[in-house]
Amino acid sequence: MMNIQLNRDQEFIEEFNSRIENEGSFSSWQLFRMSYRSAVATTTPEFKGLTAPKRLPHVTFLQHQLECAQQVVEEMNGRGILADEVGLGKTIEAGLILKEYMIRGLVKKALILVPASLVNQWVNELSQKFYIPALSQRRRPVWDQQNIVVTSIDTAKRPPHRDIILEQEYDFVLIDEAHKLKNHKTKNYEFVRSLKKKYCLLLTATPVQNKLIDIFNLVSILKPGHLGNYEEFTKQFGKDRNNLFNDAHLKQLIQKVMVRNRREDTGIDWTKRNVETVWIDFTDDEQQTYEELTRISTESPNFSSITYTRELCSSREACYLSIKKLLNQDREIANRLDYENLMKQIEQLPHHAKALKIIELIKDTDEKFIIFTEYRATQLYLQWYLQQHGISSVPFRGGFKRGKKDWMRQLFQDKVQVLIATEAGGEGINLQFCNNMINYDLPWNPMRLEQRIGRIHRYGQEYDVNIYNFAIKNTMEEHVMNLLYEKIKLFERVVGNLDAILSELEIGDVEKEIETIFKESSTDGEVKIKLENLSSVISYAQEQQAEEA
Amino acid sequence: MALENLHDFLTDYFTANQCDIIENYNGKLSIQLTDKMDELLMNRPFYWQYVKTLGYPGEPMKVSFITNPNRRDEEGEWVHFGSPRLHQIFNTLISQGKFTKIFERVTTELRTPLVPWLVLNIRISYTGKHKKDEIKSMGLQLINGAMITQIMDELEVLSLQSSIPDFCYTITPLIRLKSGYQRIIQYIENYLQDIDHTWAQESWHHLEEEQKLLEHFYENVNDDHPDLISRKDQELIDLKNRFKPQINIEVVNGGIFYLSHASSIRIINEHLQ
Repeated sequence: MMNIQLNRDQEFIEEFNSRIENEGSFSSWQLFRMSYRSAVATTTPEFKGLTAPKRLPHVTFLQHQLECAQQVVEEMNGRGILADEVGLGKTIEAGLILKEYMIRGLVKKALILVPASLVNQWVNELSQKFYIPALSQRRRPVWDQQNIVVTSIDTAKRPPHRDIILEQEYDFVLIDEAHKLKNHKTKNYEFVRSLKKKYCLLLTATPVQNKLIDIFNLVSILKPGHLGNYEEFTKQFGKDRNNLFNDAHLKQLIQKVMVRNRREDTGIDWTKRNVETVWIDFTDDEQQTYEELTRISTESPNFSSITYTRELCSSREACYLSIKKLLNQDREIANRLDYENLMKQIEQLPHHAKALKIIELIKDTDEKFIIFTEYRATQLYLQWYLQQHGISSVPFRGGFKRGKKDWMRQLFQDKVQVLIATEAGGEGINLQFCNNMINYDLPWNPMRLEQRIGRIHRYGQEYDVNIYNFAIKNTMEEHVMNLLYEKIKLFERVVGNLDAILSELEIGDVEKEIETIFKESSTDGEVKIKLENLSSVISYAQEQQAEEA
Repeated sequence: MALENLHDFLTDYFTANQCDIIENYNGKLSIQLTDKMDELLMNRPFYWQYVKTLGYPGEPMKVSFITNPNRRDEEGEWVHFGSPRLHQIFNTLISQGKFTKIFERVTTELRTPLVPWLVLNIRISYTGKHKKDEIKSMGLQLINGAMITQIMDELEVLSLQSSIPDFCYTITPLIRLKSGYQRIIQYIENYLQDIDHTWAQESWHHLEEEQKLLEHFYENVNDDHPDLISRKDQELIDLKNRFKPQINIEVVNGGIFYLSHASSIRIINEHLQ
């Protein structure tokens, strides 16, 4: 026989022999026979194929999820990047893979690292959908036992946990939202890289977010050397992100370690997505204040001046607080007087035009709504303002503790009509029981918008989804809406390949791009032209890609 | 699959564990648990600890299991092939049914010898890039050394019991248990020599490929970076753990079976054909 390690069972015969000699107890024929039968029933007689779905008759898996799990187990040997678009069920795919390995007896000890806000959700899904008894790591450490632990990377890398965890030998490690690991100089990256692990899954919807080297770093966690070493990689493929798509060789290599399904590939009948731009006019007072703020900002632009203008489009409170913070600084500030006057002006403003619009939109319906805003001050304001109109709501944001997030989600599902979320709250949480979303402020990054929409427009959503995008006329919002979002037809199609296009165009951060346009343009006309250029480039790339497909 | 009928399996399990069946109809099984089975299955150690400390008689639970998927919304616990309850039961069986000593039921008024067999159900696991298992049910006649595979199928058709039947006596094995065990393991190893191991070859090949990639990855790292060197060493170990082909031989359960001459001869003859 070729070089195969053979492990024999020494214990059985010793124990049996001593039972015979000492007249020990023996099982009945019935129990003996049943024990044999259950062993046969739990045996997996084939190397290939998935056995997990047969054990999970209460879950209907989608074709692409089954194929993904099979591909990772059979071809990638348990190490891969799961990079489906948002809402296609990366968690389900990961659960299937973990379950398959557990059934086959290959995984007993696993570490699942997810954002703190998602720990409970993961634990619940694993136990309810997959019958995997996962533990969430709380006060009492359970690192050194044989089990499936779900925790956040921030907890795991903190002493005293860190050292204990790094000593463990994990059969399986999973990192959710793995794009946060792309920088190899970070502690998180080093930590994950140092874990002793057999199988490893990285989950991210945006594997190719920024620089080409990001993908090198992610792949190096799974399969060091697969993309060559650092020097070669940069030499061969350069730093040009285009190469990820242009270079057939690189593309092929990546496909060996990454599964990526797009909505249109799944062949599922998705519910419709109705997108409506809701145009809002500032009152004269508001408009005047806006113009004044723009004037001040243009005269002596500072680091945050663009932010103040954006904030004014969101709420008086957001803008007011930021400017107050600026003025509270003990240093010389150009236009201090102008700002001080402006604050007085803001104090006099009526309720925000957008807030009025919200009331108009939801006061006569019982349907649930999610409102997304970029600013916390706006979130607080809206919650108060809705309450004044007898509309119940709960806040939701990234900083909430796990338990609070779960509680808020549950309240929203069972009791209250509106959930008001800030950006960081958008990650990972599933809210498909709601089918209305108001984007109170538009993020300047289309991918973030897709993330938001993905919270409700995902598998499991039974109704058509209504998205309302608020934009105020005659402000920067009008430009962004008309010149960026409308033009690249973001709302009409599921974003899908937009991230690829942005990468191809080397637009790493659309938000920064737009910010720069606003900052560095001296006139409104210039802003328009630059924005138009930006969106032309994007839509041109879209068309080209559509033709190729 | 050994569990064509999950419902019968559950019924047999609780009957074998001395539980009373209250209802058994159309895929629904209601059972009065015994103290022992309640402790084993219902996961309420504090209750039993409390009861025992106070010296009260415990009140074991009644439970209903539903195996007919069409009735799964009714009161009771839906049990299917993947449900945690079934696997909990499987787990209890691992220890409950591990060792046995069994006699064939023989009705006779003459002194009748019973022939000893060593029966071992063995799980062979092949682990490399992927994993599969195989179960061999081995029987060794402990007088003449005849060895047969799939003996469980033969035993199924016999009447078996835990105590020695009247007028019967057992023949003392000529082959000691431990050497019987060795013979069976040797047989398994010979079997392993003969079968195809492409899977292991592929795993070795894959391991070597990935090792090469890893070496290459760290090519330019020198001794000035002990942290990188130790990371590389760990990654090499991880690779071996993941790909190195190995075979595990594990005894699922086993025992000594005393069979009548007639049965012994029939089993051996059938096997020879």
